[in-house]
Amino acid sequence: MSYAELHCFSNFSFLTGASHPEELASRAHELGYSALALTDTCSVAGIPRAWAALKESTVKLITGSYFQLHDEILGDQPIALILLARDRLGYGQLCKLITTARRRAPKGEYRLYKDDIREEHLDHCLCLWLPPPLYQADSEATRTWGLWFRQQFGQRVWLAGSRVLENREEEHLQQLRALADHLSCAIAATGNVHMHRRDRQPLQDVVTAIRHRCTLESAGLHLFQNGERYLRPLKVLKRLYPESWLAETRLIAEQCTFEPGSLKYEYPSDLVPTGLSAGEHLRNLTREGERVRFPEGTPFPIQALIRKELGLIAEMKYEHYFLTLEDIVRFARSRGILCQGRGSAANSAVCYCLGITEVDPRKVELLFERFISKDRNEPPDIDVDFEHDRREEVMQYIYRRYTRERAALAATVIRYRPRSAIRDVGKALGFDPALVEQLLNGIDWRDRETGWRQQILDKKLTRNARVADQFFTLVNTLLGFPRHLSQHVGGFVISAGPLAELVPVENAAMADRTVIQWDKDDLESLGLMKVDVLALGMLSAIRRSLDLIGQRLARPMRMQDIPQDDKATYAMLQKGDSIGVFQVESRAQINMLPRLHPEVYYDLVIQVAIVRPGPIQGDMVHPYLKRKHGLEPVNYPNEAVRGVLERTLGVPIFQEQVIKLAMVAAGFSAGEADQLRRAMAAWKSHGDMSPFRDKLIKGMLERGHGQAFAERLYHQICGFGGYGFPESHAASFALLVYVSAWLKCHYPAEFYCGLLNSQPMGFYSPSQLVQDARRHGVNILPPDVNTSAWDHTLTEPNQTLRLGLRLVRGLGRDSGQALVRQRPARGYQNPTELRNIKGLNQRDLEALAGANALQGFTGNRHQAYWQLLGHQPPAALFAKEAAPSYESASIALPEPTEGQAVLADYASQGLSLQRHPMALLREQGHLQHCLNASELLKAEPGRPVQVAGLVTGRQRPGSASGVTFVTLEDETGNINVIVWLDTARRQRQPLITARLLHVKGVLEREGEIVHVMAGKLSDLSHLIQDLNVSSRDFQ
Amino acid sequence: MLWLYIHFPNLLMDHVRSTRDDPGALVISDARKQSVFQACPEARALGIRPGMRLKTAISLAPDLAIMAAAPEREQQVLEQQARWLYRYAAHICLRPPDGVLAEASSMSRLHGGVDGLWRKLTQALEQRQLTAWLATGQTPRAARQLARADRGQCTDSPETLNGLLHGLSIAQAGLPERIAERLARVGLLSLGDLMQLPAEEIARRLEPETLQLLQKIQGTRPDPQPAWSPPHRFCQRLDFTRDVEQTSGLLFPLQRVLGELEEDLQWRQQDTDSLLLTLRHRDQPETRIRLRTAGPEHRAANFLALARLRLEQQALVAPVEGMALRVSRLIPRGQPMGDDLLGDGPDTQEAWQVLISRLQARLGDQALKVLASHEDHRPERAWSHGRPVRPGTASGTTCPSARSRPLWLFNSPEPVIHLPEAWLSGPERISGGWWDGERVQRDYYVAQLTSGQLAWVFRDVSGGWFVHGLFG
Repeated sequence: MSYAELHCFSNFSFLTGASHPEELASRAHELGYSALALTDTCSVAGIPRAWAALKESTVKLITGSYFQLHDEILGDQPIALILLARDRLGYGQLCKLITTARRRAPKGEYRLYKDDIREEHLDHCLCLWLPPPLYQADSEATRTWGLWFRQQFGQRVWLAGSRVLENREEEHLQQLRALADHLSCAIAATGNVHMHRRDRQPLQDVVTAIRHRCTLESAGLHLFQNGERYLRPLKVLKRLYPESWLAETRLIAEQCTFEPGSLKYEYPSDLVPTGLSAGEHLRNLTREGERVRFPEGTPFPIQALIRKELGLIAEMKYEHYFLTLEDIVRFARSRGILCQGRGSAANSAVCYCLGITEVDPRKVELLFERFISKDRNEPPDIDVDFEHDRREEVMQYIYRRYTRERAALAATVIRYRPRSAIRDVGKALGFDPALVEQLLNGIDWRDRETGWRQQILDKKLTRNARVADQFFTLVNTLLGFPRHLSQHVGGFVISAGPLAELVPVENAAMADRTVIQWDKDDLESLGLMKVDVLALGMLSAIRRSLDLIGQRLARPMRMQDIPQDDKATYAMLQKGDSIGVFQVESRAQINMLPRLHPEVYYDLVIQVAIVRPGPIQGDMVHPYLKRKHGLEPVNYPNEAVRGVLERTLGVPIFQEQVIKLAMVAAGFSAGEADQLRRAMAAWKSHGDMSPFRDKLIKGMLERGHGQAFAERLYHQICGFGGYGFPESHAASFALLVYVSAWLKCHYPAEFYCGLLNSQPMGFYSPSQLVQDARRHGVNILPPDVNTSAWDHTLTEPNQTLRLGLRLVRGLGRDSGQALVRQRPARGYQNPTELRNIKGLNQRDLEALAGANALQGFTGNRHQAYWQLLGHQPPAALFAKEAAPSYESASIALPEPTEGQAVLADYASQGLSLQRHPMALLREQGHLQHCLNASELLKAEPGRPVQVAGLVTGRQRPGSASGVTFVTLEDETGNINVIVWLDTARRQRQPLITARLLHVKGVLEREGEIVHVMAGKLSDLSHLIQDLNVSSRDFQ
Repeated sequence: MLWLYIHFPNLLMDHVRSTRDDPGALVISDARKQSVFQACPEARALGIRPGMRLKTAISLAPDLAIMAAAPEREQQVLEQQARWLYRYAAHICLRPPDGVLAEASSMSRLHGGVDGLWRKLTQALEQRQLTAWLATGQTPRAARQLARADRGQCTDSPETLNGLLHGLSIAQAGLPERIAERLARVGLLSLGDLMQLPAEEIARRLEPETLQLLQKIQGTRPDPQPAWSPPHRFCQRLDFTRDVEQTSGLLFPLQRVLGELEEDLQWRQQDTDSLLLTLRHRDQPETRIRLRTAGPEHRAANFLALARLRLEQQALVAPVEGMALRVSRLIPRGQPMGDDLLGDGPDTQEAWQVLISRLQARLGDQALKVLASHEDHRPERAWSHGRPVRPGTASGTTCPSARSRPLWLFNSPEPVIHLPEAWLSGPERISGGWWDGERVQRDYYVAQLTSGQLAWVFRDVSGGWFVHGLFG
């Protein structure tokens, strides 16, 4: 006998199904089902995963979906039905219906009405009606509904008969038979499947309780009566169902021929001029680009490369993909929006010619062929970064060009993470929510050694071992379950025909945004194309800096005008002077720069990738540095490995190298290597690497590698899991590293101005950037209503940077711009003029006065603020005080002390151009014996020192177990403090809460990098408050 | 006129700590803001401060005990304080959430001047282990701001009080935050600075409400204070920081409450013969225990003896997280009692309530049960008998008619001795309850027994056959 399950929920019916689609698929395969229909609630989101799992199986996957009509009930139950796609057309109809129902409802919900079934074309779909318990329903109404289904679907409707051994089931089925006779409609057996095995019942109960926001204890009849809703063995089914019902399932399955793998992507042809083929068009555009890129003629090797690449593109039929990207990039360029491609295939000669990347093929060893794999038959992956504050223009262009019918964002599946799983399971089991929250707050997620499970046990969440075991099993199973669909940061799917016939589209949380029901892995596994349109703050900053330089030089300055291999730029980076520079500005990167000593572009590619948890946990940093500086010999076990690792001196640093090593050293096929890549990406959350372990090690031993080498490689692969950085991205990022470093080195004023105007972005606050700028000799002036624009500007002489009004906290953008627009040529002369500005409200005025932006015409900031306060006459309640004859008394307010002024600056703009608070405190004698940051640079290592500063950073990187890095700031620079776990534990209070920290410790030096190893910590935050004490009373 | 204000900076915390024997760090949290509301001295020693984010507090003290704040509980605790303070002053006002204001001129005369009053109050507060900041003032507002800033002094000298007031910082003046921020921006730091400004300027530039407040502090604007009077009942609530699992553990805290009851009754010159003790459990409905004395009574020792007897008989259904003692029947002393068993109280209850109490009084509380259905798939859990509740307030009663179940369910399933004669329907599979240790995995059948009875029979997961109930 054989059986096709036609009613099956996966966990993509959120909080209803208790198994992953792939679990259901492989279980159906084990049980010998002939087919499995995945019928999630108004969704096909789980289909790609089930399909991938059944690719090699004889079990046929049927695409379907479960619905309830929103506007109809029968015997107080909703009308429920399942639609199955018979063929590609039926699949399109199903997707369209889902889209209709989803688009009219808020995110995550759907509304399907009776009329939709009538009006939408569903002639290529089959229907299963799931009548409610018939002993409760009015039999007349039931028959009317039956006739309606008959009318809508004719011979394509079945009654679903399900036996899950519940109360009064026999009565129901008896009446179902009568109904079937009355309608002359066949009954098909269905299992109403919610899980792949019966032992998922506890989890099914838990997700049900979560869905109903109650505990298991109080869930009562919301829970199913038993655990029979699983994929049951054939012999059980045979005992439960009449043969004729089972036979019907096979008949239905035979009619369903749609195969998700047949969803070949139909590329939009809009971009190809009539009379040309896509290939010809791409070749023409490339040739055009060559003339721009190589005005003196394309060098011969590059010509050959382009020919080779075009050949490969043609062979893989990727022309449309490149044309689509070219079109988007062309639009961006026409609007002056800076962009830069990265990822597999981005760093190719063709992409260089098309303007998708600025990475010059002559400078980099070309990586293109490594990134398009003929074996994998997957679309090339190119991400394009755009200026972050102008990406929206690009997205709107895509919607305009292809319409919303044909373009939508890919989904991101939000899944259960440990935190959310613990919280929800804890709630369902009835744990005290406050206790669960406390536990969650107390868990150190980065503590890999103890793991969260042990930590929870240590904290005695429950004394009951049985409950604890249940809890952990449930949490572990729930981990990785999808919770909802969110929008991908920028992955667009663009189709030739209506997108809704390819994949359902639903609403995203953001207004006017829609997402498809598949995420990027799903698209990849089905071989569909996606274009990543991402936002990058640094591109905004670079464009602004280039514009400013262009103004100064009185000629346009472009990214390609920046000279390459500039010695001064590399010298600056080698010193670790990189605040504000793209990607290499974090403390860890700053520390690495002098050690890695970048001298050429490729060093920057490595620099970007090496300060990552992957290489650090895989112990790749030290060997690489030793080899780079010639302290350790470079050797390779064989030529094949040399090919993979030569450019990184035998140490794998990039993700691609690890994958390639698995192929070269362990004999993985391209497909296997790809599985390994996915497992690595998923390892962090729920993946399992162990299946690969044996294969890797065995493969390497067979190929003559030593056991130690094999173990090390496996260790490195695990370390890379999810944290490795791909070379294809690093190459593009390195370009921006160089460009931003060059700007900082040669045009600091323009660089900081562009950077500050692109905030918020990057690692540092405006205050830190301004201090760094001043250390690099940039003259900076405070915001002023008469000289500032909204943005920060540069003025002659000497490229002085005038801070803009955007820095003033509480001042609206529109107000600030109104102030600038209406400013008279002679400037504002008094507060009354400011009050008369249209579009400025009281709050704006107070913000300006508070930020001391009125210096031009008022005495001190206290006075300025007072003058701007409340000018409306008081209410009638205060008639006396509001007398019209009232003449404003002149009141002399005290001048702010220096300390007060500094604090007011911080409060109103987040930075101060006056003396640093630490300088004031030092002058007042509060910081005796403390060295400042610049003195520290000259101090002897190994010596006990005292330092103090404002705490600007507290980090506990995952790669350094137990160490806290604290960054202190004083008037001369930053001080790096390292606090070991023991020290931290003993002095939690100052470490965690101090804003101004005093540290006694020992100085350590490594090259140019200086640290203080912390001993005693003291909280001096009260000194900051003391700055606010006024020095004298006023009269 | 002189006013006295008592500010309780740690009211809830003090209340909780009075019944707590665990010396570990404890905070009361503001659940909405996920921040610390009050911290005990042990927590403060670790650097935990009110207003701090809960997350930070936990990183400072990983084993921190956390209790959620409840505004209504705080209000009750404040009322408790007002009740005993009422003995010292005729005119007092509650200033929720954490202050009590009292008119002091008249009361200081009774207690030997301000000094005497201050001393007596301080003693009483110490006895009750309450942190309190006292201040006098010439206006209610002035006393309040001084007390909240902990700047109060035992004085009635206008000059001293004025000086103290001028020295308050703007942050301590009780001004709305946005006004305080504006004042900071013009460099005015103390209330004295603000008071020197012309009233017109304040009204125009700092909103009329600022002037209004300032005038109330200075006494140039009326600030009427409606008087509070104690309710005609006694109600005291205790919250345990750790669940009490034995009835004996309840006696100690109960003793203290009964002492307070005696004090209260003494002061009222009244007696009672009926006490209601309510034990709160985390997940279970609360347990109510009514204690009746033979006649009107006010002595704590007698109440305690009665309570001890009663609690010894009572097994706890679940650990107790808190309790409340409530006395609503107050009998003037020396008044003869009615002969009726229940007393002929002025509050005539509904007939239902009367019936229930009569039955309970005659049969004992435990003997009276009410049947209810309960939503659970497990038959033995699908019904319950509980404490009688008023009709209409019963919850969780669903119509069980949709399911076919026997009306007569055995207390415990009985093994099947002779195989049934006929199997009528089944199996119906019931599997659930894995979460509470009473897991059920059974297949149920309707079958006719050899005796002719129509029975509900099941086979459990171990293979044994049982009769669970009979159909009519």
